[in-house]
Amino acid sequence: MLRVRSLSVGYPNGRLVLDGFDLNVEPGELVVVLGGNGSGKTTLLHAIARILRPSAGEIWLGDTDLCALEGEQLRRARLELAMISQHPSLIRRNSVLTNVATGTLGRHYTLQTAFGGLPRCELDAAYDHLALVGLEHLAEQRAGTLSGGQRQRVSIARALAQRPRVLLADEPIASLDPEASEDIMRLLQRLARTARLAVLCVLHQVELAYSYADRVVGVRDGRVVFDLPREQVSRDSVHRLYIGEAA
Amino acid sequence: MSADIARAELRVPSSARTSNTRTWGGAVTLAVRCVLTLLGVAVVVQTFIVVEARPSDLITGVHGMADLIRRAVPPDFSKLPSTIWPTVQTVDIALFGTMVGVVLALPLAILAASNITPSRFAYYAARGIIGFTRAVPDLVWALLFVTAVGLGPFPGGLALGVHSVGMLGRLFAETIEQMDMAPIHALELTGARRIQVFTHGIVPTILPTLLGISLYRLDENIRSSLVLGFVGGGGIGFQLLTAMNLFQYQEVSLLLIIIFVIVLGAERLSAALRERLA
Repeated sequence: MLRVRSLSVGYPNGRLVLDGFDLNVEPGELVVVLGGNGSGKTTLLHAIARILRPSAGEIWLGDTDLCALEGEQLRRARLELAMISQHPSLIRRNSVLTNVATGTLGRHYTLQTAFGGLPRCELDAAYDHLALVGLEHLAEQRAGTLSGGQRQRVSIARALAQRPRVLLADEPIASLDPEASEDIMRLLQRLARTARLAVLCVLHQVELAYSYADRVVGVRDGRVVFDLPREQVSRDSVHRLYIGEAA
Repeated sequence: MSADIARAELRVPSSARTSNTRTWGGAVTLAVRCVLTLLGVAVVVQTFIVVEARPSDLITGVHGMADLIRRAVPPDFSKLPSTIWPTVQTVDIALFGTMVGVVLALPLAILAASNITPSRFAYYAARGIIGFTRAVPDLVWALLFVTAVGLGPFPGGLALGVHSVGMLGRLFAETIEQMDMAPIHALELTGARRIQVFTHGIVPTILPTLLGISLYRLDENIRSSLVLGFVGGGGIGFQLLTAMNLFQYQEVSLLLIIIFVIVLGAERLSAALRERLA
């Protein structure tokens, strides 16, 4: 589904943040990326979403190389990729249901959606996606009144409303308490299984990676150090990812 | 000889050198403060000279003012029916001016907001228009429009509209520039088009603030529309000027009461609506 081949991303000064990165994520799989600060985890997600332009390599989404796309073609390709971030970015004054339904805008370019409306069918579907994340009872509430965990669930529902094939999650539990963190990780795992999504998740919580990931990718200095099923990942190899980070 | 002096300087303890530096630094700071204080005093004194301020005139003028108040009391309430139409005109001039201002300022603000402007040329062009319409006072705009379209409320409304474009355009643009862009970028990543990002992301985020600013502008425009009557812009201001020219001071006092009520009412209404929007 998602294949990253020899991906490099560099700064204009020539320093490489990602250096020949390889990765596969299949449908129904939850892959967790671990690594220290500045190791290139978030850059990887931003490059896949084409927020950043890779300096070399390929990013295949099915049969499409995202690196070769620009403009309208890139916009269309992005419909297949949904992204959730550490700080869920919702329109605070809009209702929860409206926020979820805006995930579908890219699929509906009509006079109605151009002037602030949303298709009835997508509002109904948005309600179902809210039910999937357990927040259908908050559908009419303003997004600005939600807790951090609830906002993250809404952003996941919006990502699902987009009907993507790949879900990119950039530290989705970084600002949540342990209970909410477990909830979100359980939800991501369930979505990978039931919706056959390819989920690529950047985490700092090693224990949660051991609990929920199908595969764990260790990253250091922009390179893949290991890419193994979670049961084969040793504590020692994970520990080595973070050695020297504090120095 | 000079080498000896240099060696002698090198032998001066570093604490002594630091102390000397501090003394010089303190003296310079003190001198700068003295100069700044003198400059401040000079600015204040020259304002009194330029405006020919004569406090003694205030004392001698008390009699004239008292005579004016005596002649203005009681207000002539029999003229109340004739003030209704100019009052409506005054409020409507302000409403018209605010509506014109909002309609023209919004697209200009979009172009003049550095974070969403489509091009640098559009940015500078929009900033130029906003700056020019704001820099020219509404009274001057009124005089220009009176010349162009004649006396009456229409030039007053146009003057307020054009001046409001400048004031609102700048505040709208700053609101757009200061908004949280994260939800907007998140919407872009879903594959939404630019117009959809604008209507579904930017508009709901900034709309309450824009409405609040517009209401505040309406409140200001009501006050301005009173003055515009003095230069032929119509409304209650024109009636006030006529009454003063005819020495109808009891009518003047009635009109001042009406102006006070309008301004206070508009201010309270605007504040209440803005509070609800917050």
